[in-house]
Parts: sequence; C-alpha cells; structure tokens
Amino acid sequence: MSLTQGTSTSTRAAAVVAPGELRADPDKRGRARESRRQVKSTKSSKTMFLLILPFLILVFLFSYLPLAGWVTSFYDYRPALGMSGSEFVGLQWFEMLVSSPTQLRQIGQVLTNTLAMSFLGFATSLLPVFFAMLLNEIRAPWFRNSVQTLTTLPNFISWVLVYMIAFSLFSTTGLVNSVLHDWGIITAPIKFLDTDQHVWLTMLLWSLWKGLGWGAILYLAAITAIDPALYESARIDGAGRFQIMRYITFPQLMPTYVVLLVLSIANMLNNGMEQFYVFQNAFNKEYIQVLDLYVYNIGITGNSLSMATAIGMLKSLISVLLLVAANAVAKRARGTSII
Amino acid sequence: MKSRKVATILVAPLLGALSLTACTGPGSDDEPATPVSIDQDWSEADPITVDVFDGLANYMGIQGGWFGEIVKEKFNMELNIIAPNVAGGGDTLYNTRVSGGDLGDLIVADKGQQMDELIAGGLLLDAQAYYGSMENVTPYDDAVAKLNEDKDGVYGFPTAVSSLKPTEPSEGLDPTFGPYLRWDLFAEVGYPEITTLEDLLPVLQEMQDAQPEGENGQKAYAISLFGDWDGNMMVTAKQPATLYGYDELGFVLARADGSDYQSIIDSDSEYVRALKFYFEANQMGLVDPESTTQNYDTMFSKYQNGQVLLSWWPWLGQSAFNTEERMAEGKGFELVPMQDQQIFSYGAEVYGGKQFLGIGSGAEDPARLAAFIDWLYSPEGVMANSSQTMGSAGPEGLTWELGDDGEPALTDFGRQVFLEGGADVPAEWGGGDYADGVSALNVSTVLPKDVNPEIGFPYSYTYWPSYQETVANPLTEDWSARMGGATTTVEFLEANDQVIVAPGSSYTAPADTSEVEANRNQAKASIIEHSWKMVFAKNEDEFDKLLTSMQETANGLGYETVLEFDMANAEAQNESREAVAAEFG
Repeated sequence: MSLTQGTSTSTRAAAVVAPGELRADPDKRGRARESRRQVKSTKSSKTMFLLILPFLILVFLFSYLPLAGWVTSFYDYRPALGMSGSEFVGLQWFEMLVSSPTQLRQIGQVLTNTLAMSFLGFATSLLPVFFAMLLNEIRAPWFRNSVQTLTTLPNFISWVLVYMIAFSLFSTTGLVNSVLHDWGIITAPIKFLDTDQHVWLTMLLWSLWKGLGWGAILYLAAITAIDPALYESARIDGAGRFQIMRYITFPQLMPTYVVLLVLSIANMLNNGMEQFYVFQNAFNKEYIQVLDLYVYNIGITGNSLSMATAIGMLKSLISVLLLVAANAVAKRARGTSII
Repeated sequence: MKSRKVATILVAPLLGALSLTACTGPGSDDEPATPVSIDQDWSEADPITVDVFDGLANYMGIQGGWFGEIVKEKFNMELNIIAPNVAGGGDTLYNTRVSGGDLGDLIVADKGQQMDELIAGGLLLDAQAYYGSMENVTPYDDAVAKLNEDKDGVYGFPTAVSSLKPTEPSEGLDPTFGPYLRWDLFAEVGYPEITTLEDLLPVLQEMQDAQPEGENGQKAYAISLFGDWDGNMMVTAKQPATLYGYDELGFVLARADGSDYQSIIDSDSEYVRALKFYFEANQMGLVDPESTTQNYDTMFSKYQNGQVLLSWWPWLGQSAFNTEERMAEGKGFELVPMQDQQIFSYGAEVYGGKQFLGIGSGAEDPARLAAFIDWLYSPEGVMANSSQTMGSAGPEGLTWELGDDGEPALTDFGRQVFLEGGADVPAEWGGGDYADGVSALNVSTVLPKDVNPEIGFPYSYTYWPSYQETVANPLTEDWSARMGGATTTVEFLEANDQVIVAPGSSYTAPADTSEVEANRNQAKASIIEHSWKMVFAKNEDEFDKLLTSMQETANGLGYETVLEFDMANAEAQNESREAVAAEFG
C-alpha cells in the first residue's frame, strides 16, 4: 500500500513544480526531498518484498520447480537407471501421440470426457444456490440443521468409500438389484456400474450427492450477510415468500456465485481423478477417462512414465489456450486484459 | 503413550536424514572381488533386520511364526518383507524404491529386463566374492552361470532350479492348467462325453441346473471370472488356449512345440475362441454377473463356498474347494477328459524359473545374506522355505519325520496342518498358526518335485508314497476308476498323449524397446477393455462389432509393431527350447 502511496506522492510533488522551472533549474531543496523519499520508498519496498518472499518461494517450489519434471518426456525414463542413465529420445513420445489416428481419437475422447464433466459441473453449479435458498426458508431449526448435516456429511466421505456404498447398492447382487429381483420386477440384474450407458450422467449425480450440501454452506453464509433491511422493505411492499426469494435472496447471491463460477472455470481441466478412478472398469472406461485419469492409467498403471509426462504437458498447453481465449473474451467484453 | 509420542518426535527427523542418505545412489564397485567366506556361525552375529523386496510375496511386514523363528535362530536376522503385490499400484513401489537408489537388502525380482536394469543402475551387489563358499548353490552352478551370462559378476541366483530333464513336466501331480470341473456334479449328470471345448457348455448348463446354489445358499454359476490379473490380455480368456498347448508370450500364443504361433486378436485365434466361449456361456446364463467387478479374492471365496463349477487351474478349484471333508463325500474339482485337449505343461527348468534372488548394493551385511541365500538351497532350507502352495513339507521333526523304513511321512501334526485345515505350532517352534508362519518369501530355490538328496524322496510331501496312500478318498477313487486307473492327473494325461511339454529353457524375452513398451501398454489396455465387453455383449452382432473394433483400435495403437517383436521372441524361445531339449533331453 505504502509503495503506491510513495510513488503517487512523488508524482504529485513533481506535478507541483512548474514546468518552466523544471526545465530551467529545478529547486535543489525539492530534489533533495525527492531523493530522500525515494530512499524511503526503496527501503519500504524491500520490506514489502521480504514479506512476500516466502510465498514466492512456495510458488516457485510447488508450481515452477515441478516443471523440471517435464524433461522426463524427452527421455526414455527408467527409474532404476535414473535420468542420467536413461536414453535421450527427443520428441519421440510427442511424435507417437500424433502419429496414429487411433491415438488421436483416444486423446480426443479423453478431452471430450474431461470437458463434458466440467461443463456438466458448471450447468449444475446453480443447484447449491437453490438448495441453500430453500434450506434458508425452513422454519424449524432442528429440521434445517439435520438436513444440513446429512447433506454435508457425504463431502467428508472419501471416494473409495462412496464407491463401496455404490457397489453394495448397485452391483449385480447389490441391494437394489436384490430388492427388484425379489419383488419380481426384473429377472436379470440391471448393470448400473459396469455399463457404458449414461456414464457422464451417473458420475454427475454421484458428485452432486457428495458435494451439494457442502456447496450450499458458502451460500448459506452469504445469505446471512444480506442486509435485513432489504427483506423488511420487501415485506412492507407486500412481497410473498417466493417473491422475496426471487427478487431479494437470489440476486443478492449472484456476486458470490459468479466469483465461484469464475474460479471453477480456471479449474476446468482439473476435474480430479479419484472419483473416476474408483468407478472405472472395462465397460465404462471409454467415457469415464478424464485427462488426469488417462495420464495416471498410462503412467502408473501402464508404467510408461515418459509418455504420461508428454500427455500431462498437453494439459498445460490446453490451459494456456483456454487462458488466452478467456483473455480475448474479457478484453472484448470489458476492454481490459487479464494479463 | 506419551513416551511413544516423544520418541516419534525424536525419531522423525532422524528418519528424514536416513531417507536422504538412502538417496545417495550406489557406491563405486572398484574393489577387487577377494573371496569372502560365508562359513561362520551367524547366530552369534549382531541382530539385524533386512528389507526383502519380493515380487512374489503376498504378505507385507516382518516374517513371523516358525519360519521367522528358524531364520532368527540361524542368522539372528529378521526379514522385513516388502511386497508390491500387497502394496498394489503396479510398478509404483518398485519405481519409487529404485529411483531412491535402494530396492532392498535382499531382492526377489524378474530376470531379464528388470535384472539388467538393476545391474546397470548399480542396485545389485556382485556376490562373486561370496559365491566360492556358497556350497549349497554349487550343484546348480550351470544355472547360476546361465543367469549371470554376459555379466561381469554374480548378481543373481536362480529360482526353481531343477535337476530333472527339461522335457519332463515340472508339475508333479496336476498340470498348471486343465479343465477342472466339479466331479460330483459331472457324475450326477452322467459323465457326459466331451470332445472339444465348446462341448463343455451344455454339460456346464446341466451341472448348474443340478446345483443352482452354493453351500452358503447363494446362487452358483458354472463360470466366474476376475480381472485383476489381466496383463497382455484378459487372463481368464487365455486359459482355454493352454488346453490346446498354447502359452502367451506378449501378444503371441505360442504352441509348446513351436508348431504354431497366433496373434491373439486374429478372428480365428484361440483367444478369440475363448472369448466366444465365454460369450455363449453368458448367453446361457452360466457366467457370474459379478465377474466384471470382482477380484481374485472374492472369486476365490466363491470357489470355497461351492458357487463356481469350472476352474481352469487345479491350484484354484482344488485348493479352494477340495477339503478333506468334502472329498470324503466324493465332492471336489477333478480334471475332465476333453478328447482333443493337449494341455500345455512347463518343462522342468534346468536353468531356473522367471525370478532371481539377489543382494541389494546397499545391504548392511552382504555376507550374511549370501549365507542365507545359500541356506535356502540346502535340503533343510528347501524343505522349510518352498511356498505352501508348492507343497513345502516344512521343517523335519515338526511336520514330517523319517519312518523306520527310511521313508518320509507326515507326523500327526503335519496331517493336521496339511489335511485337516491347520493347527497351532508348539511353543518351541515359535507358536502361532502354522499357515501364518509359512515362509512369506513365496519363492522356491529348487523345484519341489526334485529329489531331496538327504532323504531320497522329493522335497514336496505330495509325492511321498506315504502321503499318497493316506489321501485316497471316494473322490479320487471314483475319478481314478473313470480314468483307467490313473493315480495322478499328469499320469493320465501322459498315458493318453493329452499333455505337451514345453522344454524348460529358462528363456527370457529381451526388454521391450521404449516404443514397443508404450505401444504395448496402450494396445493391451484396449484389448482387455474390448475382451470384457465381448464376453458380456448382448448378441452375436455386438460381439462381432466389438471384435472388429478391438482389431482396429489395437492396430491403430501400434499392435503390429509389438506383435512383430513378440513373434521374433516366440521363435527365439522355441529355438532355446529345442536347444535345451537336445542338450539335456
């Protein structure tokens, strides 16, 4: 803060001096004062720099240093031999990625899956808002609290356990199939888990089940921050409960929502892999493999570490492209650039 | 509790420091190999704990029980077993440890690529200095020399070595593969004749109708599959090919005598035939619908409960289901005579099996480890160490003893352990359940079928006459009567020319080039994915469509390159088989 203050004061000081004087013979006293200020401001900017240094170091350690691992993609890396003992293969892995149409199709499918899951996530991102609004309308505190607790809890269950729940409910001998079978509704078990039908949708439903309650917490907090005067005046004006929701609560939540949405767009390619990893099997693999899972399957499961690195780099490339695109949109819409 | 916490706090940085020192790669190996004798009383040495990286182990942690006690007594050493099989995640554990520069003090890994890599990376110790005094290994010098061929030292010791002829089956009583059905149900449906693989389907249908439920009241299926062993292909779909004398080498199914090589994805390959077999079985309702999601353990427990009626492996069906009690009732898995079968059998490996034993370059006390390895080759060591599934007899005096006639026989305790489902070990042997104390190394140094020079009978108790007399039961008697009086499966197969032995040449395929490896990994993932879908396809049309799609996708992912590589290896393997058969056969 003082850094900017310092500069702005000195500019102002310079502006006070008449242009003619400045050109001919500047006031000596003024110059001395100015250099003193400059010393002061360099000093304070040094302190400021020291203050942010730890964070810069962290950013370097965790965001830039790992990039050195990219070098793996130019080698035929074998852990037992180390990087120095492994053969340098240049762009071989990248050439392999683009050399065959089947390979390209597979990567295309993976990207489609990744983006589809992300967009389904955006499309349903309003649900927690509505959920929070409805929750807020519940009068009985014990009921509201228990609903909130029950819906928040799944967020703390790991995906592995979620899969166990899914498995015991929906496997061919799971609860659902057994019950349907015992009631005589079905004769052959329905395959819920090992099918390539509606994979994106079921994955979306699972992540909603897990995340809805948790997602609503932020909005509930935001609702408490809405000025009660708005509600009072709305009520005085004769607004009903749904009208209040529609015209007061919802618009008031929008800024929070937009911030969260923008943040999640930045994470578009990072839709995680735990969920898809535990749910994947030979039948749904084609539609469930998102970018992170694909890299994992090639690198860790398939033990092609170098090739997985090459594919992993793809993610950064696409992220940069998305950033440039978003920047272009922002520039056109707001006239300013992000960068 | 509190002191433990303090200890943790104190030890944590130390551990950090230790793990850092562990990163300092292999030391230089300039020292000349002056012979070091391993011949000393190790029981007096300082106690140590050694890390054993064991690619075969199915247990992780400190070796306990009676085997642990023996090792402790002889070498004052504890074995800390590190098992990638238990840790899961494929090669992750191996990769992490080798990039840290220390795989383990004692190493059980694959020969070929893995061994070469470990030597090149300086992770294996040259045991040349100790080899001279390792007397128990000396009889297998040929195999040691072969394993360390073209290497400037003795880096590894072979496993499952044998002095049997390479053209003789390494399996003793039962082959590795075979069509094993629930014999009691097979009898119930009237011992129908089976001419070829597909004839099993109607028989299985009848058997499943005859016994629709397992002993636990849950639905029984003729066939149950699992996916966690899938490698180059769907593992359960490879098994029927072995009944016709094929075994896999990468993407190639190679016949034992080198007369045929098949690409697995060819429409007329044995692999696709097996997929079709499963597909038809599934259409008939014979395939367990849980197959797609279960793992080996789940499936194994289904076998134990009698919920599965067909097993391609005796060591699956028989070991899970054929208990003493059931066999007395005439129930159990036995091989059915399929007329056109010629079952693949692994010949005895004069040069040893797929794995090797080695000493890590960072080992604290390599001489003691060399002594330990040497002991594993001694008659005493072989009896105690061979894995239980291979018929290890255990230590003399505990589970077996020499009778007055000089023949080995199981003791009462031994009978309890091997025939009646286990027993607790006496305190002087270390206590605990016998099965929990079995060597977790899960690796045999010498083939259990080989003759123990000290007793004149094979190492494995299952070959002893005394044992074979005891185990005769209604099941084996009925089977034997139907099989023209044969006493063992291998005997029946040999008499009827239904077994084909691939001479044990200990051939190891060369390492995949990086390109082949990457192509292979992608192609196999796609092949496995398609195979499963084909088995569970809705109809013939879908099956055919998936087959075409499998062929196209695999080819698009570089299948051809890999196949070419595998084909060359399969031919080289056959040459080495012929060579070894000519030399020793």
